[in-house]
Amino acid sequence: MISVPLGLRGISKSYGQVQALKPLSLEVAGGEMLALLGPSGCGKTTTLRAIAGFEQPDTGAIFIGDKDVTELPPNRRDLGMVFQNYSLFPHMTVGENVAFGLKMRGTARAERDERARKLLAMVRLEQFGDRQIHQLSGGQQQRVALARALATDPKILLLDEPLGALDKNLRESMQFELRAIQRRLGITSILVTHDQEEALTMSDRVAVMSAGQIVQIGAPAEIYGRPATRFVADFLGTANVFSATAVAEQGAGLWRVALSGGEPIEVALTATKPLSPGQQLTFAVRPERLAMGSPEGTGLPARIRDVVFRGSFLTYELDIEGRDTPIFVYSQGRTAAAAGSTVRLNWEPDCAILLEAGA
Amino acid sequence: MTAVASIAAPAEGAPRKRGRFRLASPLWAAPAIIFLLAFLIVPLSANLIRSVTLGEAAQQPFAYYQKLLFDAYYSGIFLNTFKVSLITTVCTLIVGYPVAYFMVRYAGRWNGLILFCLIAPLLTSIIMRTFGWRVLLARRGLLNVWLTDLGLIDRPIDILNDPIIVYIGLIHVMVPFMVLSITAVLQGIDVRLEESARVLGAGRWQAFRSVTLPLSLDGIATGCTLVFVITNGSFLTMLLLGGGKVQTLSLLIYQQFNLTQDVGFAATMGNVLLIAAMACVALQGRFLKRKGIKE
Repeated sequence: MISVPLGLRGISKSYGQVQALKPLSLEVAGGEMLALLGPSGCGKTTTLRAIAGFEQPDTGAIFIGDKDVTELPPNRRDLGMVFQNYSLFPHMTVGENVAFGLKMRGTARAERDERARKLLAMVRLEQFGDRQIHQLSGGQQQRVALARALATDPKILLLDEPLGALDKNLRESMQFELRAIQRRLGITSILVTHDQEEALTMSDRVAVMSAGQIVQIGAPAEIYGRPATRFVADFLGTANVFSATAVAEQGAGLWRVALSGGEPIEVALTATKPLSPGQQLTFAVRPERLAMGSPEGTGLPARIRDVVFRGSFLTYELDIEGRDTPIFVYSQGRTAAAAGSTVRLNWEPDCAILLEAGA
Repeated sequence: MTAVASIAAPAEGAPRKRGRFRLASPLWAAPAIIFLLAFLIVPLSANLIRSVTLGEAAQQPFAYYQKLLFDAYYSGIFLNTFKVSLITTVCTLIVGYPVAYFMVRYAGRWNGLILFCLIAPLLTSIIMRTFGWRVLLARRGLLNVWLTDLGLIDRPIDILNDPIIVYIGLIHVMVPFMVLSITAVLQGIDVRLEESARVLGAGRWQAFRSVTLPLSLDGIATGCTLVFVITNGSFLTMLLLGGGKVQTLSLLIYQQFNLTQDVGFAATMGNVLLIAAMACVALQGRFLKRKGIKE
């Protein structure tokens, strides 16, 4: 299969007074899986529906390969799409569902059946061709939907919250399976999801969307480790956000800053933007990057309010003097520190992510 | 559902001897059963007996049934009744389906208005409605005046004396039944099914034909059965608009009862209509059941 790139060049969409999509440009490389991640109403679904051809963008153009498809109806864009509720045709058998796209293209029956069999084998459902849709479990329906979307050898695969209706365990195993199939076929894919874990697990790049625009785009580790704004930091996992004042630079990008609230305490962070002494700033530290040390050591003093056992890790909820919102720490420690005890928090300077730098 | 369960549960748990007031008692069906017995089962049974005992049937019990089915004149009317109903059903379906589809898929907030326009004719008296058509379609009625003014016709067309007016009147009355039956089913069909068909390469029409239409067959079956059965027995429209041009069983029953006063024969025809209606409903029930198993 030849991987085809997808290009969105300045597409926008308004519904009445509401601008659902601000002019948005995005280049997806051939064979890449890109996730559009964001809360509901952020414009990710509108973007997907514009690519599919269900919504006509007000401005801009959509390119599949080097072909402008902006004006083409959905059936002539050569796409595969998996819907959240699978949208399998209840009046057709599993095999007929998979072969539907080929039937619409006028493929001969024998070839259609052969191809449907092959696709069903790919999703490990080869025995289910003659079953009715309602006889399948949710996970099986999901795989049929994927087989149906891929049967016509589409140029682009669109996944609209494809695993949203599955339970947690099944969702995790399907994430890997879907990802493996996508890689093997090398099909350019767009995944729309509000589940950050799904976006991070499945995609090559993640575009975080908010209020009709892309806030940050990059590889999962980059987005998670270096969120550009507080919104991204909060939306992808948990982030402990601190307000501080820059004190002095201590070498290439390494700054000492004084935490606001209570008594100012100096800590270190790695700056991603130019800073000057005295500047107000906010930075975030991921809960798993915070280390708890003995109260006699150095670091930020905190008091453990609560400890929650989470299976593979422990979640600590800590109070810091002069701060209203609690600090979260994820720890792999085998013995839990008791609630009520005092600790000191430390982090590596490059784990403190500078979010906003004000005047 | 939860409300019913929570009320029923203590009733089941409580021993009967306490004589607690139970909501789920079969006794509550009694008024309906008595009413149906007195005003449906008894008269229908009497009608059945009448059809095999009165008049000509006194000598030979099935004389009237034979007459209706084998006498060329009567069997002609018998078949004509079904022909009229069938044509009306098909025309109603053709008129009603697009309306239903539009209402469900595109009307949005206009849905209520369209629904009102559909039901409004049902709220006016059938006699008013029927004479309305006579006024519109009369020799010097609105339609003829317009067509003449537009120069489309030289002489007024005589619709009033053409059987077509009966069909116009019937379709007018029947369309709401069809539309409501179909919208009920269409509303349950996810738009995304059509969208997935579109992404898979189906054009608008193909997507409709291969997904929405087959999934709405239930509604079509219900609507058609309803229209067919009601048209079979419809009387006033036939009488007031047909004026003898279209002869159907219901008109014949009226004649036999009021003019010829052959009550036995009228009862026979009534029974035949009833059996036809029951057959239609049974057929539709089978159709729905078969589909039900498939789903």
